[in-house]
Amino acid sequence: MSLLNNTRKTESAPRPFALLTSADKTRYWKSLQEFADQEAFQAEAETEFAQTPLQIEADPSRRAFLKASGFTFAGAILTGCSQAPVHKAVPNLAQPEEMVPGRSLYYASTCNGCNASCGLLMKTRDGRPIKLEGNPLHPLSRGGLCAAGQASLLGLYDSHRLHHPLVRGMQATWEDADRAIGSQLETIRREGGPVRFWSTTVTSPAREAVIRRFLAQFKDGQLVEHDPLSSSAILDAHMLTHGARVLPGFHFEKAFVVASFDADFLGTWISPVQFSRAYMEARNPEMQKEAFSFHAQFESRLSLTGCKADSRTVVAPEQLRPWIAQLAALLSKKAGAVLPGPALPPPAHSMDALAEKLWTARGKSLVVCGLQDVHAQVLVNFINHTLGNYGTTLDLAHPSHQHRGSDAALQTLLEEIRSGKIAALFLHGVNPLAQMPRANELSVALKKLPLVVSFAERQDETAGAAHYVCPDHHPLESWSDAEPVSGAVSLSQPAIRPLAGTRPVVESLSTWSGLRVSAYEIVRRHWKEQVFPRQNAEPSFDVFWNKALHDGVAAVTARPAGARPFDSTPVAAALSQPVAGGGEFSLVLYPKVSMLDGRHAYNPWLHELPDPVSKAAWDNYACLSPAAAARLSLKEGDVVRVDAGADGSLDLPVLLQPGQHDNVVAVALGYGRKDSARFAEAGPRWLNWRKPVGENGLVGTNAAPLLRWQDRSLTYTRSAVRLTKTSRTHPLAITQSHHSLTVPKNLAPSSGSTRPIIQEAVLPAYLKDAAAGASHHEVPSQDLWPRDHANDGHRWAMAVDLNACTGCSACVVACQVENNIPVVGKDEMGRRREMHWIRIDRYYSGPPEDVSVAHQPMMCQQCEHAPCETVCPVLATVHSAEGLNQQIYNRCVGTRYCANNCPYKARRFNWFDYPHEDRLANLVLNPDVTVRSRGVMEKCTFCVQRIQEARIEAGNRGAPIADGVIQTACQQSCPTHAIVFGDIHDPGSRVSQLSRQGRAYRVLEEINVRPSVNYLRLVRNRPEKKSEGENHG
Amino acid sequence: MNSRIVTILLCTGLALSGILLALSLADFRLPGNQQGYEPPQPIAYSHRLHAGELQIPCLYCHSGAEKSRHAGIPAASVCMNCHRYVTAGYGAVRAEDEMAAKEKRSPRPIISDELRKLYQAVGLDDNLNPAPGKEPSPIAWTGVHKLPDFVYFDHRPHGKALVACQQCHGPVETMERMRQVPDLSMGWCVNCHRDANQKGIAGKAVKASLDCSACHF
Repeated sequence: MSLLNNTRKTESAPRPFALLTSADKTRYWKSLQEFADQEAFQAEAETEFAQTPLQIEADPSRRAFLKASGFTFAGAILTGCSQAPVHKAVPNLAQPEEMVPGRSLYYASTCNGCNASCGLLMKTRDGRPIKLEGNPLHPLSRGGLCAAGQASLLGLYDSHRLHHPLVRGMQATWEDADRAIGSQLETIRREGGPVRFWSTTVTSPAREAVIRRFLAQFKDGQLVEHDPLSSSAILDAHMLTHGARVLPGFHFEKAFVVASFDADFLGTWISPVQFSRAYMEARNPEMQKEAFSFHAQFESRLSLTGCKADSRTVVAPEQLRPWIAQLAALLSKKAGAVLPGPALPPPAHSMDALAEKLWTARGKSLVVCGLQDVHAQVLVNFINHTLGNYGTTLDLAHPSHQHRGSDAALQTLLEEIRSGKIAALFLHGVNPLAQMPRANELSVALKKLPLVVSFAERQDETAGAAHYVCPDHHPLESWSDAEPVSGAVSLSQPAIRPLAGTRPVVESLSTWSGLRVSAYEIVRRHWKEQVFPRQNAEPSFDVFWNKALHDGVAAVTARPAGARPFDSTPVAAALSQPVAGGGEFSLVLYPKVSMLDGRHAYNPWLHELPDPVSKAAWDNYACLSPAAAARLSLKEGDVVRVDAGADGSLDLPVLLQPGQHDNVVAVALGYGRKDSARFAEAGPRWLNWRKPVGENGLVGTNAAPLLRWQDRSLTYTRSAVRLTKTSRTHPLAITQSHHSLTVPKNLAPSSGSTRPIIQEAVLPAYLKDAAAGASHHEVPSQDLWPRDHANDGHRWAMAVDLNACTGCSACVVACQVENNIPVVGKDEMGRRREMHWIRIDRYYSGPPEDVSVAHQPMMCQQCEHAPCETVCPVLATVHSAEGLNQQIYNRCVGTRYCANNCPYKARRFNWFDYPHEDRLANLVLNPDVTVRSRGVMEKCTFCVQRIQEARIEAGNRGAPIADGVIQTACQQSCPTHAIVFGDIHDPGSRVSQLSRQGRAYRVLEEINVRPSVNYLRLVRNRPEKKSEGENHG
Repeated sequence: MNSRIVTILLCTGLALSGILLALSLADFRLPGNQQGYEPPQPIAYSHRLHAGELQIPCLYCHSGAEKSRHAGIPAASVCMNCHRYVTAGYGAVRAEDEMAAKEKRSPRPIISDELRKLYQAVGLDDNLNPAPGKEPSPIAWTGVHKLPDFVYFDHRPHGKALVACQQCHGPVETMERMRQVPDLSMGWCVNCHRDANQKGIAGKAVKASLDCSACHF
């Protein structure tokens, strides 16, 4: 850890917490409260059900008691009298050939949750999609699908979607809208006025062709692409150094050394599912052994990627470019060249070590940078060029089309809009009034334009300012395609007939071009003319098309970027750029894995998903390091004003984030959206219900006004913001200390200490001994129960690789969709009543200013000696012959004894009948899983519905269930394949093999509950500790 | 004397109440028990005729039983496989033929009242040609065998284990109108599973699960 010790910039800052003593060196903690006072935290954690301050404590009076019993009696009589409802069974008139009621069909498609365009499998039942899964055939995502992608399914059944076009805010028919837009466009065509189509990067080649054909009708028609989470600087830097505005393909799987400067490539950067999978391929200790990759992260806030890093350096955002420059200088010296430009200060020792590692791994290393700073990106290109990474880990022959947006083009467009020069503006996939700084000015300017057409699916901020809103289909309703990386093309097909009177963008554009072509014809024709000729494996187009439609993807020849050899001229200019700075605090705006740029602000599943690092849900907040908060005497939940002078200010609640730079305040983008106004009444309305939204009536606060233009780039950092404490508070729903695993003192083994819940090893130790990092406790051998169960047949088990888990939380949403888990809302989450069956526990170790982070997916462990089963008075939770700990909802009477007795805190209680009134939203419910009602306990079942389906299908074929056929929902979507499910009685199954590995351990094994989940130890590529007494970090 | 009359009266009253109670208890059933449910259907379809007299296999119409959890109610297109040609009962056709022979004319096509409902549902006129302007509308049958929402019964393994359809659905081939024969309670299911595990089905040993999660999830 010498790399960190020498480079920490926060050493002089006051520390609110005492340094760890040597006795604590392996101590893990989940929250700062726990770090400060373990005893009190433990006592609190042992209480399964939080005591909320607002409980009704008054004794009921005699009168109230009689009233209540009277009502209960009357209610019982009334419910007893009800007649069984008559149930209608309505079969089809003509059964489609492949459709059998009650059977799921899977169709391949392309995800539209962000621009990464991962492969999808749409599970449809009786004609409606009910679950999105990853497509294993897709060359980039390879079966993974992130949280946002899976949750995008709910958008289809959103009753707030626009169901018809709007003409000046009023409901209209498509004929009216077409006539009005058509006549205006006719005038523009005659007069030659400028037409602009403002869109996020158009990843669909067919749509791009339609847009370009549409714009070609006008004398001055332009497509302006802009990504709300922009990578524009990378493309601009390649324009300077390689002569082509291109985003290279990144091959993390080929990189033995990865250095990332503020690029959150496992969380939100460009294509996280693809990168997570590739990154983990180079980090499998069993496969890679010595070649296990080394990852250094330089960042100012604690990102998901930083959590995985082997060496993490906290650097102020302004200082990142100088650090990159130093690395460039060191590497250029190693290459025998001198960097042009001014001399640099002597590098930190850690930089030397990193440069050495990178230089040794020439051609097999990768340096990435997430900064929106062209100069920094030029230096990164220089570094990668010096290391010979172009052509190996950086691919210009298969460039990425996931982010193509240009901030410079956007700035030109904004100037044109402000000056009112534009005759017609079309907006697709962008919401500038929520995503741009100075939105008020822009709103006024938009209203002055003669024609503004939005294709928004919902009436968002910008749709309100548009003259016409022509709502697009939901992606699950329409035909489209995608080419995220050159050469990998995929198709998108509808899974359901359109639910409302919407129309695909391509059909709208073709209508206004005087053609009336369906989206299907557009895509098919484009594939016939443009995609089919790019391959020669298949001579017949129909066969090629059908295969592509079946697989979802096709491989065609790539179109290289046309880059010229590296040109080092811009490097000198990049080195001589002055460093910004000043002021006590710098602001960093970042995306969260759930909300991303805010396009999913309508989605309750994503709001309810706790951020994997801060573990807060339903809000954005100002992240401050504990030291910074102490300096300003701020507590968690205090509202602080983040003041950026003339550009405005934001009032946000404070969240204490260990591992963050002491002079940085970090705020998530994508919140405070109009789409989230619907959550003002979210959650069960009971006596003590508290409003789940802020004073603005929205979820969180929109931080986009504080985005900053610099050198024609929209940057996410800003120096010199002032923080002032206000007198208000805003409680946050932080789930990090809910459901803490504790071993009560009287159950602890005789040695008095319990085994760590997280176990980890450093790579050198692991290579010497695969079981390194194990805690050597005796596994209890005594047994209260007779071993009289039949030991034949299946025994379902799971293995979770903590090393592969990035904490991305895709599994949490996958489980929520698969198992009909209700959304409880912020207020209930604050009362420890979240319903997620699988949670990502986040553990810190080390002091708060320099933390190491471990993520641990935690779900019901299906214990062999399940403590929950022995306390259930009605036998609602019992063991199955196949080792499952069954939960029988219809038998449960809700005593909650089981939850109280669960050492893993994996049981969830239905405190309410969570709302299922929205008939449209109910269509998303999985018909294979019971919707639980109030007063019932529930928990992870290892997706028993999938086990049953596989068993019955195998029985029908007369074959045993093959290993890997049953995939639990969490396993299916995991981008890094960290979760493996199977039969542990089959010695050849993957789960058996993993459970026998040296890294395998079971959480809380010492209390002898015999969990069925094996965790595989985390391995970090760090040097071995010199002596036992040395502090961690 | 008086007290004797009172005693007799009271005893008679008690006996009467006992009989009344016994009568009401005899008819007592658990909530949700729909044994004997025999609702009228939109089309008076006769299982006795189709399954009994004509011996059409159950799976011809309820083909889902092999492929899916639900056996399914056949789509109208399945009915039309035969009823494109069979438009009325045998008796009615025969009577028309005899009448035609008597009146020396060619027999007129006749359509039974019940089948006319089917043709209307699929949008055909009396000559079985597509009726212009007539929207096809699916037939809303009334479900007879309904399990609670928290029970996941699956037809596939039962068919595979050669459990006869009549085991759960009763003598369907004799029913003019579909009726629920067993009470479909959990005890009834579990008893059958236990029996099957002991005695096998059709001479073959089976392993019928007794786990809760076989049906509840």
